[in-house]
Amino acid sequence: MTTIAPAPAPVRAFQPTGSGLSFGGVLRSEWIKLRSVRSTIWSYATVIVISLGMAALMSASLDLGGTAIPAGEQATWLAQAATFGVFFGQLVVAVLGVLAISGEYSTGMIRSSITATPKRLPMLAAKAVVIFVCTFVVGLVSTVGSYLVAAPILAGKGINAGLTDPDVLLPLLGGALYLALVAVFALGIGAILRSSAGGIAAALGVVLLLPIVLSMIPAEWIADLLPYLLSNAGLAIFGLDLGSAGFEVWQNVLIVLGWVAASLAGAAVLLKRRDA
Amino acid sequence: MIQAQSLTKRYGSKTAVDAVDFTVQPGRVTGFLGPNGAGKSTTMRMIVGLDRPSHGSVTVNGKQYREHKAPLREVGVLLDAKAIHTGRSAYNHLLAMAATHSIPASRVKEVIELTGLESVARKRVGGFSLGMGQRLGIAAALLGDPATLILDEPVNGLDPEGVQWVRQLVRHLASEGRTIMLSSHLMSEMAVTADHLIVLGRGRVIADAPVADLIGAANRNTVRVRTPYAPELAALFQSADITVTRTDADLLEIVGVSAAEIGNQAARAGIALHELTPISASLEEAYMALTQNDVEYRTGGTPDDPAAEHTAADLQESVR
Repeated sequence: MTTIAPAPAPVRAFQPTGSGLSFGGVLRSEWIKLRSVRSTIWSYATVIVISLGMAALMSASLDLGGTAIPAGEQATWLAQAATFGVFFGQLVVAVLGVLAISGEYSTGMIRSSITATPKRLPMLAAKAVVIFVCTFVVGLVSTVGSYLVAAPILAGKGINAGLTDPDVLLPLLGGALYLALVAVFALGIGAILRSSAGGIAAALGVVLLLPIVLSMIPAEWIADLLPYLLSNAGLAIFGLDLGSAGFEVWQNVLIVLGWVAASLAGAAVLLKRRDA
Repeated sequence: MIQAQSLTKRYGSKTAVDAVDFTVQPGRVTGFLGPNGAGKSTTMRMIVGLDRPSHGSVTVNGKQYREHKAPLREVGVLLDAKAIHTGRSAYNHLLAMAATHSIPASRVKEVIELTGLESVARKRVGGFSLGMGQRLGIAAALLGDPATLILDEPVNGLDPEGVQWVRQLVRHLASEGRTIMLSSHLMSEMAVTADHLIVLGRGRVIADAPVADLIGAANRNTVRVRTPYAPELAALFQSADITVTRTDADLLEIVGVSAAEIGNQAARAGIALHELTPISASLEEAYMALTQNDVEYRTGGTPDDPAAEHTAADLQESVR
C-alpha cells in the first residue's frame, strides 16, 4: 500500500527564532499560574483573616485575674497570641499546596505545563519556590498583623513587648516559615497522588490526624516518635509545644525540612518517571 | 521534520503503538488517520515527551523534544481541548505558557486576535464551549511561532467557518516551510487539507503516501448504470476482468469498463440507459478500504481487544 511520493517541491524548512526556555521564565509562569486562580486568593485571605481573628479572640478573652505577668515572659505571651492562628492556617495552606498541582492533573493543564517544560523538574522546582515565597509572605502578614491586633489589647492587661524583641519577632518569622514549608510539603503530596481529594486527605492526615492518632496509642516507642511528626515539630518552631521533646528551634526546623524533602523527592522521582 | 524509528508504546500487555517508522516532512500538511485506538494520540504524546516510548525513538528536527532549548518554538501542540486549567482565564493561561519561554505579552494578544478569542479572553476557561476551547488550544500551539505544529483533531467542535479557518491556517503555515501534522476523523476535510497521509491501524503504519495516490489506489472505476433492461445489459459484459453487480431491479454497478464503453455497447445492442454515472472513490472510501482490511486481518488473533470491536460501520457512523 505504500507508494513512493513524487518529490515534493523543495521548500526551505522554517527556522524558529526568539527567546528560549529559562528557569526565570518558568518561575514567572508559575507565579502567573498561582495568582490567576481563585482558590489561591481565597486560601490566603482565609489564612490572614483566621490569624487576625484568633489573635483578637485570644487576647480579648485572656483573663489573668489580676496576676501580673513577669517582664521576661510578656514577649512569649504576645508571640503566642500572634501565632495562634498558624495552627488553623496550616490546614488551609496544606489544601492550597495540594491544589497547586492536583488542579493541573484534574483539568489536564499538566499536559500543557509539561510540553512547555519538558524536562519537568524545573516546573516542580519553580512551583515549590513560588508557593514557598508566597506562603511565607502571607504567613508573615498574618503573624505580624496578628501581633499588631493583639499588642494593644494585651497592653491593656499589662503585657507589653516590642515587635523587634527577638522573643516576639523570631516566633512570628517561625510561624510564617512553618506555613510556607507545610505548603511545599503538600505540593509534593499532591504531585505524588495527582488527585485533589486524595492529596488533600493525605496532606491533612499527616498534618492533623497523625499526631492525634499516634498519641492515643499507649506504646512508649510511638510516644518517642511524636516530636518527629511534621506538625508537632513545626508548631514547636514558634513555641506551640504539643509533642514536647525539648528540641531547639533549629532542630525542629530540620525535622520539618526532612518531611518537605521526602515529599518533594518522591514527587520528583514520580514526575520524571511517569507518563503525564 | 518529525522522524519516528521503531517507535513503540506498550501499556501492560496491550501494544498501543507497534514499532512504527515514519517521517513527517516540512512544507506540507501531513494527515494522521486511523480508527479510534489506532495509536494516533499516543504517538503524538510521545513526540512531545508526555509519554515515554517503550522502545524506539522519535525526534523533532533531529533532537528529542525535551532536548530542545526552546521547545515551544520548535513544536506547537494541540493534544486535546482539555489541557487547560478551567479556573483560569484564557489570557492568563496563554500568559503563563508564554512566560516559560519569555515570549512577550504582545504575542499573547496576537494569538488571541488570530484565533478570534478577544471577547472571551478575560473569562474563565471553565465556561468555554468546545469550539472556544479548541480555538484556545490552537492559540496556545501557535504561541511560540513554532516550526512544527501537531494538531490532534483541531476542527473537533468548530463551526463550518472555523473548520475553513483551520484549513487555510495550516495550509498557509505549511507554505512557510513548517512541518504540519494533523489528525482528523473528517475524511472529507482531510482530503482538501492534507497533502500527505499516514494511516495507522492497530498501532502500525498501514499507509504512508500522498493523498492523491491513496485515492487513486482505491479508485476502482465503478460505473453506475440504470436501465429497465438490466439482465440484458449485464449479459454484454461477461468477462473475467469485469465485475457486474446488480444492486436493484434496474440498477447495475460495473467495475472494469469505462462509462463511454458501456454507453457505446448499450447503443449497439439497442438497450436504453436511464443513467450512466462514473463513481470515483473518495478519500473516505480509500480509508475504509485500508483500515477495514487491517482490522479483518487481525481480529481473529485477539478477539478481546477493544480496538477490534471498532468495525467499519462504527467508523462510517462517526464520520457523519
